Amino acid sequence: MQRPRFEAYSAFNLIAVALILIAATSTAIPFAAPAGAAAKGKLVLAWHAGFASRWLDPQEHDGTATPDNFFTAIHDALIKNQGTELYDHPALAEHFSVAPDAKSATFTLRRGTRFHNGDPVTPQDVKFSYENYRGAKADVFKKKTERVDIVDDRTIRFVFKEPFLDFAILFGTANVAGPAWVVPEKYYKQVGPDAFKQKPIGAGPYKLVRHEPGVRVELEAFDGYYRPVNAKQLVMIAVPEAATRVAMLERGEADIVYNVPGELITKVGKLPGVTLAPVLSGSFFIEFAGFQDPKNPFHDKRVREAVSLAVDRRAMNQAETAGMGKPTGNWINNDVQYAIEWPEFPRNVDRAKQLLREAGYPNGFDVDWVTPLPTFYSRGERLIAQLREVGIRGRLQTMERGIYFQRLQAGLKEFPGTQIILHGVRIAGSWSFWYEGHFKCGGFNSRDRICVKDLDGKFDQYERSTNPAERKKLAEEIQRGILENYYLVPVFRHAFVNAIGPRVVLQKWQDVFPTITTGYAYPWEDIKVKDQ
Amino acid sequence: MSQFIIRRVLYSVVTLLILSATIFLIVRLTGDPVALMAEASARPEDLERIRHQWGLDRSWPVQYVTFMQNAFTGELGKSFNYRLPVSELYFQRLPNSLTLGLAATLISLLIGIPAGIISAVKVNSGWDTVAKGVALLGLSIPGFWLGLVLILVFSVWLRWLPTSGSGDWRHVVMPALALGWYFAASMLRLTRSSMLEVLGSEYIKLARLKGLPDFVVIAMHAFKNALIPVFTLAGVNMVVMVNAAVIIEVIFAWPGIGRLLYEGIFQRDFPLVQGVVVMAGFMIVVINLLVDILYAIIDPRIRLTR
Repeated sequence: MQRPRFEAYSAFNLIAVALILIAATSTAIPFAAPAGAAAKGKLVLAWHAGFASRWLDPQEHDGTATPDNFFTAIHDALIKNQGTELYDHPALAEHFSVAPDAKSATFTLRRGTRFHNGDPVTPQDVKFSYENYRGAKADVFKKKTERVDIVDDRTIRFVFKEPFLDFAILFGTANVAGPAWVVPEKYYKQVGPDAFKQKPIGAGPYKLVRHEPGVRVELEAFDGYYRPVNAKQLVMIAVPEAATRVAMLERGEADIVYNVPGELITKVGKLPGVTLAPVLSGSFFIEFAGFQDPKNPFHDKRVREAVSLAVDRRAMNQAETAGMGKPTGNWINNDVQYAIEWPEFPRNVDRAKQLLREAGYPNGFDVDWVTPLPTFYSRGERLIAQLREVGIRGRLQTMERGIYFQRLQAGLKEFPGTQIILHGVRIAGSWSFWYEGHFKCGGFNSRDRICVKDLDGKFDQYERSTNPAERKKLAEEIQRGILENYYLVPVFRHAFVNAIGPRVVLQKWQDVFPTITTGYAYPWEDIKVKDQ
Repeated sequence: MSQFIIRRVLYSVVTLLILSATIFLIVRLTGDPVALMAEASARPEDLERIRHQWGLDRSWPVQYVTFMQNAFTGELGKSFNYRLPVSELYFQRLPNSLTLGLAATLISLLIGIPAGIISAVKVNSGWDTVAKGVALLGLSIPGFWLGLVLILVFSVWLRWLPTSGSGDWRHVVMPALALGWYFAASMLRLTRSSMLEVLGSEYIKLARLKGLPDFVVIAMHAFKNALIPVFTLAGVNMVVMVNAAVIIEVIFAWPGIGRLLYEGIFQRDFPLVQGVVVMAGFMIVVINLLVDILYAIIDPRIRLTR
């Protein structure tokens, strides 16, 4: 018996509709499906140092950029720095707001976010992570926070004792502090801080598969992440020797290598399919320790200016980073809040000599020591050679890195006489962190080596102010004051040169190193590798 | 004999105590580790918090007593950097270092002993000159340079071997060669001088006079006696290779004890450096103790004269 015609027709229509629906759904799946499901390929990163286990636990963030490599893979924060967003990229928080009086900040959690063990990310986890945080700047948060309120199952509010204008920037800049990074309270308490560092569980795009302390970390794309994760496996290997890292890249054993030193940059740049990623990093600048003493030659502004005129910034950049750094006019990186742009200082040896004559040093003078940031000793040697051209004669003082910071923090007594320090610093977030650390009288690194009372007075005013416009004005005034008086002499921005192998999909190196406040390659979930 | 053993054990304990006190002081003379455990811009409060957390705010004698109390119970402290017990880290890395140390020892023996014997038997010949040249090169070529050349040739150009890391046997070849090469040279020199001494002795002359073939004289009579100091040195060399192959392990990113020590020194990880050095010292002291006891068993004059 023949089927009624309309039925066959309807069946055909139904199948057609079903096929269209399937096709439509399948195109939508990559956006709607769990993030790790579509991930493919393996990304291998060769590191320039051994791994410290504390870098796997945001609760003990040491305030440097290095741990971000692990945090951004395994963990996630409410807000964070990402791409060109300095601190306010919404991550686990769908959105947030700071009260107009800056006395509270409210975050709403993204729906459906989970930790790698399947537990949901809750406001209680956020509260625990904040209250239990004991890393860099922990005391600042503790001192200023009155309480943390869980408003509902997605909303959490931080209430402050006084206006806390820098809260969001401190909270969200990963390489400054870590209380925004959320750890699972239950698991953290269950295993304890030390075991957590060996087997961390987070809410980030990658879950830990294997951890050989100090040697290797193997990660796998997390299916439950709220953003697409491109590479299925992420392997980080510590390879301290630069030549070995380059050999790994050349042989295809690594896809990204960090820190290609100056002598290998040209070679690596010529490797087929390899892309150099010269990320602008820390700022190098000159400090005149104890210049406020009238007996110190650098007390005279003309002498400080002469030093600036003697420095050949372009030659330094060319020799030290194959020209991949950038001679700069401001000692504060331009990727932080309220940093001002300033033209590059000129080089003029004749003018420098003239200024020294005017200042009473026709035959120049001797500097007891020129101390560069370890291990950039060759930069100190170049500076000495350039200063000698105008008659300033210095000797190089090299120190082990730990000793250097220890002596900085001990203050002027560790730098007696006439001294020049060639610093290299990178601090994300706000210009004020730079000032507070490296210029303010009594600051944690400047101590008593620099004391300019009028600028410190303005800085105190800046700290007290709750008016953003006034703060910006003061920030700019202070920075101009430093530069116009040559209290610090900017030299150049260092290039942290990395290399990317041919398996990584990219149009330009910034596709792999997009986050401007860091020299590293995150966000990891965005990096794609070709089929292997 | 028992008195001799007790005396030697006491000497060993004293040696280890002196070693532990020395390394405890030396690591502390390098400066404050807290400066490297916090960020460059850390404030005094942050530094103080970390110092207190690790007990570094206590006096050195108190810290030393705590260290020794723990050491006697087998605990070498907790690493600042890894947040794991040092003994756990040490034993995690030990299999890798033993693998590398054994392979390098084997290479050093395979190169050093035959070349040393040939050099001694054919003294002042072309063979001897070549062997002396090899010994000179072995002792003078820096391990890091040899390691990098091996990587360039066998990994990058020929693509036969992986550049670095650990895994299968192919990962061991280059680091073992680079490490064993230096020790092969010292083996060669010692084997040569030891063989020359034995070959000049009366009993060898007698063996030759009896008309024994050269091969039998060398293999059956000279070789055995000449090897005693060689194997004694090989044992000590192996302990050094297992615990202090710092440069080779760094070049080849080999996850062994040498690299652990390197990272400990670099990060001023006091418990880690103390632990690794004390463990290495313990191994050397135990091996020397066993050798002394063996010598005393073999030759009673030793235990009577000491």
